[in-house]
Amino acid sequence: MISTEPNQSIEVDGLSKIYGTKSAIKDISFTVQTGEILGFLGPNGAGKTTTMRILAGYLPASTGTARIAGYDVHSESMEVRQRIGYLPENPPLYPEMTVEGFLHFVAKIKGVSPGQRSSRVDEVLERCNLTEYRQLQIRKLSKGMKQRVGIAQAIVHDPPVIILDEPTIGLDPKQIIDVRNLIKSLAGQHTIILSTHILPEVSMTCDRVTIINRGKVVTTNTPETLMAELAGGTGYELEIDGNPIEIQKMLQILPGICLVEVASNYGLPGDRSLLRLVCSPGAEPGRDIAAVVVGANRGLYEMRRTRASLEDVFLDLTTKELDVTENKE
Amino acid sequence: MIIFNNIIAIFRKELQGYFTSPFAYVVMGIFWLLSGFFFVAILMSPEGIINQIAQRDQLGVPTPPVDVAYEFLRFFLGVMGSLAMFVLPILSMGLYADERKWGTLELLATSPITNWAVAVGKLLGVMTFFSAMIVPLLGLEAIALGAADPSILVTVPLLGHLGLFLMAGAILSLGMFISSLTDKTIVAAILTFALIFSLSLMELVAKSIGGNLGAALEHLSLMKHYTNLVQGVFDTSSLVLFMSYIILGIFLTAQSIESLRFSRR
Repeated sequence: MISTEPNQSIEVDGLSKIYGTKSAIKDISFTVQTGEILGFLGPNGAGKTTTMRILAGYLPASTGTARIAGYDVHSESMEVRQRIGYLPENPPLYPEMTVEGFLHFVAKIKGVSPGQRSSRVDEVLERCNLTEYRQLQIRKLSKGMKQRVGIAQAIVHDPPVIILDEPTIGLDPKQIIDVRNLIKSLAGQHTIILSTHILPEVSMTCDRVTIINRGKVVTTNTPETLMAELAGGTGYELEIDGNPIEIQKMLQILPGICLVEVASNYGLPGDRSLLRLVCSPGAEPGRDIAAVVVGANRGLYEMRRTRASLEDVFLDLTTKELDVTENKE
Repeated sequence: MIIFNNIIAIFRKELQGYFTSPFAYVVMGIFWLLSGFFFVAILMSPEGIINQIAQRDQLGVPTPPVDVAYEFLRFFLGVMGSLAMFVLPILSMGLYADERKWGTLELLATSPITNWAVAVGKLLGVMTFFSAMIVPLLGLEAIALGAADPSILVTVPLLGHLGLFLMAGAILSLGMFISSLTDKTIVAAILTFALIFSLSLMELVAKSIGGNLGAALEHLSLMKHYTNLVQGVFDTSSLVLFMSYIILGIFLTAQSIESLRFSRR
């Protein structure tokens, strides 16, 4: 087993992969800091799996470099392989082996010392909720169970860097939550890059997000910043009774509020109104808003936050990209 | 040391795979059935060797004395060689094609284990399985030929089986290389059959060409060296040839997997 090294980062610079005349990925650059979780987000066919495979050393890049823990993935492949755990798009499983037997085998070829193998396998079975299936043959497992075995084999040797390609595919909602919690629990001590096209995954588990579309990086930032940038901030919707205009004036002067508009009260009882507020980026005026409405002796029937979801960001960024490319053509 | 451990890990995985797979048992069963049939037929059937010699004796045909046991062994092992030619591609076809199919090649290629270690481990595994298939034949021979008079030297069947083992190793090694080129076991099997066929032809071609080229080609022929060993002729050049084929197969396999990583375009 490898002891934790100071540098467990992933550095990608100008990575491209060209098949004939078509480029699967072009000029991809990003960095994952030691202990960070980076989400690699993109629609199907964007180039996520290609990038993951190059990082893991399964595919050679056409140009550019990638370094894991300071080692070049192409020229120092063995050193890289000793430090990574990898879950490919399809979990690599031997159908005739038992879950336990398979994990023992993986632990062996990943260099886990004989004395520690059993305890590592036990621990990982526990963490992935596989303990009761340990004696089952892999071909008898459901898709969700196979996916969990796939995750287990990526972490059985406690690697400093973990590469996960679509880790929650095929899992039911409860299992998805378990896996996300598992990934979050690994952060800090491990550097993780996970690729997905499921947006909530990213906002819930990742420190930062790289959005990739059609083989190119669109942007890299924290989920919050991306959402704030797009919406120009967060907002609120209030359902109140009585004359909305008075409240509108009172809310407008609150610090952190940019705009208050009275929206149509379609669908609400006659004496209720709907107010829409837009806040400035970074502001948290929720407490003041509630205080103002209640202080004016009004009924506050619903108060909800509105903000651009990551879906909006994603669609905006990836369709914008599409327009630009289409205009060029 | 690590390399050795890796080879053992792969070897054990392969062996476990054979003994938990129904397919392997089927192949083994059919092989034993056929070899048992040939054993009995060659030895004891009306056209078999015992009856043939007996008939010749009865007819009073003046022939040089025949060492029946030796002749039987030679003939039987010859047939075993041909039978092996059919079985071996079936054993080697899945070696890498299955790994591709299951996606586990991606696991091996991203683990700190060299392609060489994987190839050697796999070859050892399949050769061990093949040995398990032919060792019982030694038992059969011991029983049947133990009563022979003049008794047969124990080195003769041992040498013959060694030849079978080494020839199998050569074919399995080349078959393993072919398996590493595709993800479809059936394609691997067909290509390996084709390879064996061409190698068998080589001996015929060599004989018809004659001269130095013919002699060189003949020297490369697997069958020729196999028949030598079966006849009890131990020539180190046979050993060298078989080992060369085995090493060639391993080398080519490692290269073809490595080329996945090095084909920068």
